Amino acid sequence: MTAVFFLIRMVPGDPAKMILGEYSTPEAVESMHHALGLDLPLGEQFIRFVKTLFTQGDTGNSIINGTSTRELIADRAPVTLLLIGMACALSIVIALVLATLAATHKDKLLDHLIRIFPTVTLGMPIFWVGILLILLLSVHLHWFPVGGVGEGWWGTLYSLTLPAITVAFSQIPTLVRSLRAQMLEVLESDFVVTLKAARLPSRVILFKHVLRNAALPTLILLGVNISYLIGGTLVVEQVFGIKGIGSLLFSSISKRDFPVIQGIALYCAVSVVIISLLIELLSRWLDPRTKGKP
Amino acid sequence: MHNQITSNNAFAIDKVFEPLVAFDNKGEIVDWLAKSHNISDDGLTYTFVLRDGLKFSNGTDVTAEDAVFSLERHLKVGGPLAISAKVDTVKATDSHTLVITLKEPYTPFISELSNFSNGIIPNNFGGVTEEEFFKKPVGTGPFVVEQWDPAGDVTFTKNTHYWQEGKPSVDKLVYKLIEDDSQAINQLKAGEVDAIESLALQNADEIKNGADTTVVTNGSWVTEQLFFNTLDKHFSDVHVRRALALALDRDGLTKALTFGYAQTANSLLPTTIPYNSNDTLKALNFDVNAAKAELAKSAFPDGFTTKLLVASGNSTRAQEAQIIQAAGKQIGINIEIESIELATFRERFFAYDFAAMLNSGQADSPEANSIVAFQTDPDGFSKSYWTHYTNDEVTKLLYKGQQTPDGDGRAEIYSKLLQTLADEVPYIPLYYPDILIGVRSSVDGIVVLPNGSVRFEDVRIQK
Repeated sequence: MTAVFFLIRMVPGDPAKMILGEYSTPEAVESMHHALGLDLPLGEQFIRFVKTLFTQGDTGNSIINGTSTRELIADRAPVTLLLIGMACALSIVIALVLATLAATHKDKLLDHLIRIFPTVTLGMPIFWVGILLILLLSVHLHWFPVGGVGEGWWGTLYSLTLPAITVAFSQIPTLVRSLRAQMLEVLESDFVVTLKAARLPSRVILFKHVLRNAALPTLILLGVNISYLIGGTLVVEQVFGIKGIGSLLFSSISKRDFPVIQGIALYCAVSVVIISLLIELLSRWLDPRTKGKP
Repeated sequence: MHNQITSNNAFAIDKVFEPLVAFDNKGEIVDWLAKSHNISDDGLTYTFVLRDGLKFSNGTDVTAEDAVFSLERHLKVGGPLAISAKVDTVKATDSHTLVITLKEPYTPFISELSNFSNGIIPNNFGGVTEEEFFKKPVGTGPFVVEQWDPAGDVTFTKNTHYWQEGKPSVDKLVYKLIEDDSQAINQLKAGEVDAIESLALQNADEIKNGADTTVVTNGSWVTEQLFFNTLDKHFSDVHVRRALALALDRDGLTKALTFGYAQTANSLLPTTIPYNSNDTLKALNFDVNAAKAELAKSAFPDGFTTKLLVASGNSTRAQEAQIIQAAGKQIGINIEIESIELATFRERFFAYDFAAMLNSGQADSPEANSIVAFQTDPDGFSKSYWTHYTNDEVTKLLYKGQQTPDGDGRAEIYSKLLQTLADEVPYIPLYYPDILIGVRSSVDGIVVLPNGSVRFEDVRIQK
């Protein structure tokens, strides 16, 4: 947080001038500086910032519109969390299907096709994928809204589908790769051979035993990727005109809205920690062997 | 008017607040909340008579006292669109009549009053604090703010007390802030929004030729310009500035970059503003040989290397920079393009830390003085638009222009002033871009003002 505080203040650009525009008199800029506390020495600004953080649990009010950072973030967070959740769910489902197909058709055409897919998609910038999907599925085919968030639960889910697919696009390739490799390893392991010998139906072997064992490393990978996932969401929000945390961060950076940038950095850091913790707990539940280990 | 509102939502203000006089889409001053106005012969006394039956959106009557309060408050707070006239008194002589006296004549005053920042609000904010008032603003405009989202979206409903009978015809108006250009265009094409503001020039034809979309356009008060820092080692030399102006094919640049939605500029005043002298001025037109001869007269006859500052994220400006770079190359001026992000760009030129930069000048009112003062006054805070250009003769003409009543005399002053600028080129005017609004074909009656604002009173949407 300290690094973020000083780094963004080192970047040139004055919030007062961004608020007042090019036609602002130096007097107006000066009084705005005073009102915002930007005329204080940097050390004092930092002490104020830390004080606010501990007394209000917040990084202060937005310089641009005076709203409290916590309120702004609370207002924007639900849609971003929903988007991340949908993207995760989609990534997992699609990766599971593709990896299972690939693993069960090892070295056949289907396997090759699925393995080419990650190689191609990994090189695509996420915003470009978003724009292509908008042009094809929204502007031409009218299947999905172009952008924004619809009204009501169904409207929101529906309008977030395309953005979620876009974010998932960046996750699926690595997940498929990992899951396929793990499944192949488990499929060839001794206990599966034993189960096969016991003539258990292959469906049962696959879903009950193989997947459960293969899913763990992939899940951890997803956990590690979560910070990339958050990054991806920020870009995709901009492309789809979704007013979530990402677009808030973009506009705050361009307007040099220091408290909001710090607030978002803080909450992102906290959420990455929480998610890592959740993944840790989930992996223990999936693999009882890790229980009791540090 | 209110800093935090203007920073986020300048476009929203004129939907809610209205001034005594306004300007129409041709930029002409028209009576608005005032049914008439009179300027005394000595140019010192301005008398306004309010319309009958005027009401604020909460149903209370508008009186001259409200106007006194509003104008005195604006004189006190100033802000980005402050009143420059030296106002002596603002008085209500009866409930319908307002008299403003000036300490000295100032011809641009009437057009300054037409700014949205001089909108009339209730006396003493209608009895609430300033902060509470601007959270739930009350004005005389066609719309009332229903919801103000910190994300930048504003929802308006119709003002049922609006003074123009039968207007507005739409019940609800939603302003959505979409930061990504292609997202905005796609939403328009898909019919998710009815109109988009600030359509980029390069996207105009696509929208104009679209099956369900079209373009509404108007001349703007903007002049795109190449500014020189006249304190710079190279650009302090008038011959260098003239040489670059001669080397640059402004007609070609305009044709290549603006897709027919701009006019080549001869002066810093757009043709939408009176006294622009665009037709009579002798500007330095494209002539490479003359450019070379001019450079030979300078202190750098063999050329030099310099930098051009450009804000990133604007593709038209990036292309302008490249054309200027190529023009310089023909005569031996090697221009390096320095493209930086907007906030940093502003920081740099406010600190006069540039040799040359691309930017635009914009008038706030239909008044020659508006841009001229900002770009030629070396004592103003902008120091001749950060160029530090100083010419006593020009400064004298600037002040004379402010005090001379409208007419031939004033025309002559500006024509002389602009010719001096054309000869000494502290900046090269490039073109006057049009304002473009992309609309769905089902939308009728959108009015685009030269300052870029849009009037929605007459809008009808065909079902």
